[in-house]
Amino acid sequence: MNALPDRYASDALVLRDPSDGGTLAQRLTKRYAARITGAFVVPGREGSFAPLPDDLPPALAQALRSRGIDQLYSHQAEAWAATQSGAHVAIVTPTASGKSLCYTLPVITAAMTQHAKALYLFPTKALAQDQVAELLELNQAGDLGVKAFTFDGDTPGDARQAIRLHGDIVVSNPDMLHQAILPHHTKWAQFFENLRYVVIDEVHTYRGVFGSHVANVIRRLKRVCAFYGVTPQFILCSATIGNPKEHAEALIENAVTAITESGAPTGDKHVLLWNPPVVNPDLGLRASARSQTNRIARLAIKSGMKTLVFAQSRTMVEVLTKYLKDVFDSDPRKPARIRAYRGGYLPKERRAAEREMRAGTIDGIVSTSALELGVDIGSLDVVVLNGYPGSVAATWQRFGRAGRRQQAALGVLVASSDPLDQYLVRHPEFFQGAPPEHARIQSDQPLILLDHIRCAAFELPFIGDEMFGTEVATPWLDVLGEEGVLHREGERWEWIADSYPAIAVSLRSVADGNFVVVDRTNGRQTIIAEVDYTAAPVTLYEGAIHMIQSVPYQVERLDWEGRKAYVTRTHVDYYTDAIDYTKLKVLDCFDTSNAGCGQAHHGEVHVVRRVPGYKKIRFYSHENIGFGQVNLPDQELHTTAVWWQLEQVVLDAAFEDRHQALDGFLGAAYALHIVATVAVMAEARDLQKSVGSGDGAWFVSADVTGRGQIRGTDGQPTALTPDAPFTPTVYLYDAFPGGIGQSEPLFNRREDLVAQSVTLIERCDCRGGCPGCVGPVLAADEEAATTPKALALRVLALLVAL
Amino acid sequence: MQGVTQRASSSDRFVPGVEIAPGLFFTEATMDWGCPSPMIDTAFARWQEPVAYDRLLHFDTETTGLAGGTGTRAWMIGAADWLTDGRFRVRQLTTTTMGAETAMLRTFAQWLEPDTVLVSYNGKSYDSPLLKTRYRMARLPDPLSGLGHLDLLHPVRRHWKGVWENCRLATAERELLGVVREDDLPGSEAPAAWLSYLRGGSAVNLRRVLVHNNQDLKSLAGVLLHLARLNYS
Repeated sequence: MNALPDRYASDALVLRDPSDGGTLAQRLTKRYAARITGAFVVPGREGSFAPLPDDLPPALAQALRSRGIDQLYSHQAEAWAATQSGAHVAIVTPTASGKSLCYTLPVITAAMTQHAKALYLFPTKALAQDQVAELLELNQAGDLGVKAFTFDGDTPGDARQAIRLHGDIVVSNPDMLHQAILPHHTKWAQFFENLRYVVIDEVHTYRGVFGSHVANVIRRLKRVCAFYGVTPQFILCSATIGNPKEHAEALIENAVTAITESGAPTGDKHVLLWNPPVVNPDLGLRASARSQTNRIARLAIKSGMKTLVFAQSRTMVEVLTKYLKDVFDSDPRKPARIRAYRGGYLPKERRAAEREMRAGTIDGIVSTSALELGVDIGSLDVVVLNGYPGSVAATWQRFGRAGRRQQAALGVLVASSDPLDQYLVRHPEFFQGAPPEHARIQSDQPLILLDHIRCAAFELPFIGDEMFGTEVATPWLDVLGEEGVLHREGERWEWIADSYPAIAVSLRSVADGNFVVVDRTNGRQTIIAEVDYTAAPVTLYEGAIHMIQSVPYQVERLDWEGRKAYVTRTHVDYYTDAIDYTKLKVLDCFDTSNAGCGQAHHGEVHVVRRVPGYKKIRFYSHENIGFGQVNLPDQELHTTAVWWQLEQVVLDAAFEDRHQALDGFLGAAYALHIVATVAVMAEARDLQKSVGSGDGAWFVSADVTGRGQIRGTDGQPTALTPDAPFTPTVYLYDAFPGGIGQSEPLFNRREDLVAQSVTLIERCDCRGGCPGCVGPVLAADEEAATTPKALALRVLALLVAL
Repeated sequence: MQGVTQRASSSDRFVPGVEIAPGLFFTEATMDWGCPSPMIDTAFARWQEPVAYDRLLHFDTETTGLAGGTGTRAWMIGAADWLTDGRFRVRQLTTTTMGAETAMLRTFAQWLEPDTVLVSYNGKSYDSPLLKTRYRMARLPDPLSGLGHLDLLHPVRRHWKGVWENCRLATAERELLGVVREDDLPGSEAPAAWLSYLRGGSAVNLRRVLVHNNQDLKSLAGVLLHLARLNYS
């Protein structure tokens, strides 16, 4: 894969004079106007400073000065004042604004003056190690005598005892707290008795299922703290999200003082949204994001700007690194100018890369999301995103990596062909106008709650009408008593089973266990991927082509009970697409409202998913070249959903026949799903769509020809008699047992979602429909008198609020 | 953990001993067992000084399982020592309710003196940390920390690993002391025996655990004397 000489990237675009991101943005905008769908500037701001607080211990103040910190940013000073007043604090400021000092100062002060202890939680081990390195440097600078250690899965057994007894600051992650610390809290007794601060950084990553688990781990932490007679103060930090204070309060279930104004100075930030040019207008095919990213990065580096490229996969990191190295590191005698940075490197290598970046000897870095969080790599001029990271908040956080105090920086989002990407670049107002997404958790989700009450009962007996979070635990304890793991004696519920419940509860995956993908090519036995339970039936059926970082593997055997899929490397020109029949039945309707000529609802549903087969689809042409059978058990799910439906009379007037109406519903569901995924900051797989009858009598799926096919409750194709009731319904449902709280916010934004879906389809460049709007369509339909796109718009128009 | 809690009521609920606190039964028996010399040679444990035999306290707990962490508890503690007249005394504390645990822990703490030397089989890794956790959970001071502790598993392993099929106490007592147990309830069934009793079931297996624990303590003392007589010069 050689980087071909690029005939378009003329060197005329390279900036010869010292310049900044603004100048480069101008040049790019001029030269590539057609590719730039949005361009705007976030103005910079002056720094706002405050003196070092008088009440800092002198040795700490001295250590700060010796590290070049003579004054604080205003938000750091505010955080100091708030923590000293005893408040729980949430700090929400951009990347590289000196967030960690906000908690370092109170924590080190308390350790020095009162021998108080602190627990730090980071979502990744790498961040924890960075934090300890930073603390050690500060400690050394001032000879402060404060001991900080990481405590994670890699900590050797013989070091653990010393850390428990002597650590002033223990830096860990929620998973370790959940599985290793809380179930052994008596070993940590001295630590807990003196615990004064709990610092939780990057709290924006604790959302959805993961966040709901973490909130319950915090409940357990507070419960154990109460046993040792302490009420620690929480200091939380977050990247920019729409509801930082609310989210922090949801996590710790206490009022917090939110600090949201950064005092760190920044230059202007130019943002470009970049859509690769269309290369095949018939199929709506665009040039690859990779080629565009490579071009932009090359221009930026040639123009003398420090550039960071974010790629979505490790493989893409390596590919882009190679392309850039081919240009900039062709002389092996000179030190490297381009570096890759990703998970899977040894900590030592990563430290070296970070040092070189801070020192400015590296000109270009290609990274996975590993650099999105707070790793310190110094100042950069240009950030290029090879593909949309999945949320507006993450996009801003990555762009936040570029920025110097005085100089303008540039961030470019290069859209891939993914529907979400295409949606985003066509809606530049999303970045300018719309606030970042809200992070949501649902701590009382019944399955998650039961898991953590189980773990909590192991840690300490429940007594009387004890609360867990916001609910009295008793009904849950009864369940666990019947299960035989708890024994009730008078007022006390005590753990009685010979088991360690935390091991069975993983914070980061949904119910029922992950599948591992085992590569058996040439007699190997290597685990090459993990797939979560809900995705397994549609990606790991026997015969499936399972793509791992764009390398195709074929599934040879699926061991459903053992949660293993055996694959071999293959070379085929097609991919497979599961035919996924979903049948929903409404169990309970919580709320209903009018939606245009129809109605929108929100409530509880029973979902049955079946994968009877799959299609083989050729790359690029997307033609259907075959079909395979699948034999898997039905997946049943009790969850919450939001749904829209239209009455028969309305449809009879708007469509020639029922089949047309169904095609319209399928397209509308596709578009609504894209828009809703963005709206609730969901992982696409956590939110699913379906089209069926309002009474659950039948459901619709796209058949082999891409047309809507009605199927009865047995999953067999069927036809409706002309006089049968006809109330097609589009459902969006939480793909987590019991629901994870996405459907209520979606119901509240129902009008917005329909309106945005209309805009999405209207603005799409395709003629009859494409994966970017209403889903893939057959070539024949492109030319049809009424295209799937037009039919979907017709359905949505009927649902638009009057 | 499947199945429904058993609530079968049994008529055989007899637990031996005196109920010294609600739900806490105490048994004591003295016998002739072993013939300790006044000073026990501890060179087998690489200790410098011998230990006077009346400072030794052999102990062994029966628990609710091996899962570890704060959810595992001891429901009985057995302890044995040589009295000044050389007679061997075995004392056992058995709880029949969860609430009796605190009284059991307090009683056991009273058996320990500042100069007591504990003797156990794998107690450094298992019984002792487990009891420390239970004292902490009961908000009682931990009486075990700071005491000398002879854990016989390690010297037995050093000597006979690879020689015997394994180094469990049952093997050591057979090889060294010629003890062969009859109708012994394996230690692994102790959790179920107590759980079943707690839920209203029969006390038959509970009593068998007491017998088993009693034999463990005697074997512990026997193995200790055997190790002490080995020539370590």
